[in-house]
Amino acid sequence: MEKFRVLVVDDEIDFLETIVKRLQKRGLDATGVDSGVKALKLLEGEHFDVVILDVKMPGMDGLDTLKEMKRKRPFMEVIMLTGHASVESGMQGIQFGAFDYVMKPANLDELMEKMTQAYERKTLHEERKSSGRSGAAGSVRG
Amino acid sequence: MKIRGGQPRGRRLQLGVRGRDGGAISALNINRTGAPMSGSEPLDRAASSLVPPTGGKTRAKDSFDPIRHQLLTGAILLATTIVALFSSGAVLAVCGAALAAVHWLSGRRWARAIEKAREEKRFLDEQLIQSQKLAAIGELSAGIGHEINNPIAIIGQEAEWMRHLLQEEPGKTEEISDSLREIVRQVERCRDITQKLLNFARKMEPVFQGVDVNRLVDDMAKLVEKEAKLRSIRVIRIFQSDLPALFTDPPLLRQVVLNLLNNAMHAVGEKGAITITTSASGRDFVNIVVSDTGCGIPKENLGRIFDPFFTTKPQGQGTGLGLSMCHGIMDRLGGRISVSSEVGKGSSFSLALPADK
Repeated sequence: MEKFRVLVVDDEIDFLETIVKRLQKRGLDATGVDSGVKALKLLEGEHFDVVILDVKMPGMDGLDTLKEMKRKRPFMEVIMLTGHASVESGMQGIQFGAFDYVMKPANLDELMEKMTQAYERKTLHEERKSSGRSGAAGSVRG
Repeated sequence: MKIRGGQPRGRRLQLGVRGRDGGAISALNINRTGAPMSGSEPLDRAASSLVPPTGGKTRAKDSFDPIRHQLLTGAILLATTIVALFSSGAVLAVCGAALAAVHWLSGRRWARAIEKAREEKRFLDEQLIQSQKLAAIGELSAGIGHEINNPIAIIGQEAEWMRHLLQEEPGKTEEISDSLREIVRQVERCRDITQKLLNFARKMEPVFQGVDVNRLVDDMAKLVEKEAKLRSIRVIRIFQSDLPALFTDPPLLRQVVLNLLNNAMHAVGEKGAITITTSASGRDFVNIVVSDTGCGIPKENLGRIFDPFFTTKPQGQGTGLGLSMCHGIMDRLGGRISVSSEVGKGSSFSLALPADK
């Protein structure tokens, strides 16, 4: 598997530390921050391929962070992490460009699979953009 | 008119009417009309036989009565290409739109007549699409005006009230901040509408990836499940396990499925069921159907539910963009969305997506 850069944003420090460690163990270049504001700040100078973003956080919540992230980095894919599923937040998240939703507690295999797909999408998007032909990156098997 | 080189030898004369999709949709015996035109004798004796053209689907007969009438009376036929096939290979083509002539033709002349009819059809189709587009734009503008006007009115009112307070009773900061909160809320509402419109207008090309449809649908079902449980709505999954491979844009498809589930929840309200079915039609299509036991959609609204800004939800609760967005997305994915509904029994939305072959 290709090594790609992952940013995990969650206010629960324990969860954050564990998941970052586990993702690193799986061969990913993973970083963790505990707030939306910190995540956006980090994005000023750094580049990430996929973001795992908690929906419910104090201060700037997941949806606001998502909107801002998509504005700054439209090709970076964001997977929303949610403790309690709500239709409304799901609809909004996907509408604002989230790649997918993952329910907490997240199964690591499932998360890995989704991140890989999100990364593939980002690559396809960028390839198409750089080749300048729409549809050039049609169906590519993942 | 005489047929040259293609005298019908068959006993039965068929008249196929080409449907909009280009396929023959039924057959009609025209021997009484056909006989004098063709100058051939045996036709009269075959008067009673009506044979659907091969491969064509037969529709309700009554839909042909006006055509039969026109044909028998020699009236002008509109925008329809009618082709009669004979066992000999001779063809009767009645060409569309402005036509007044009935041609007995064979071979190349037939091809020319068909081509001409097709051109006319294309022209008429384009015109129809154009006028439909104009109508849609009209409705869209009216919708935007309406949706944006309400929050603007509230913002104006609150601002007016704040000015009054600041001039007359500047001590009432609590009330002033109430008004500010309301203004922010309404601006948020406007932004939501424009955001949706932008998404709508943005022709972002879909990114096609391999998708496990059952998994994707199951994930979206999980999002609604908790809320459904609280409202005593059962979420039933009927998934076909061996679906063909599907290459599609996953977030776009998620958006459509979630929208349909959300609508189903609204339609049911409380106590009822939402059934999600996945299946394959042959190896060509993967279908996702979301059915509910909700209020249903009145017949008069069925034709409009995919129109932008069409909504039956109370003011401020729905922008009326959900289903039109779904429709737009399905178009971009090369699929289709359709609906069937019965008032009081429920609705069923079907998605058909082309499978990867």
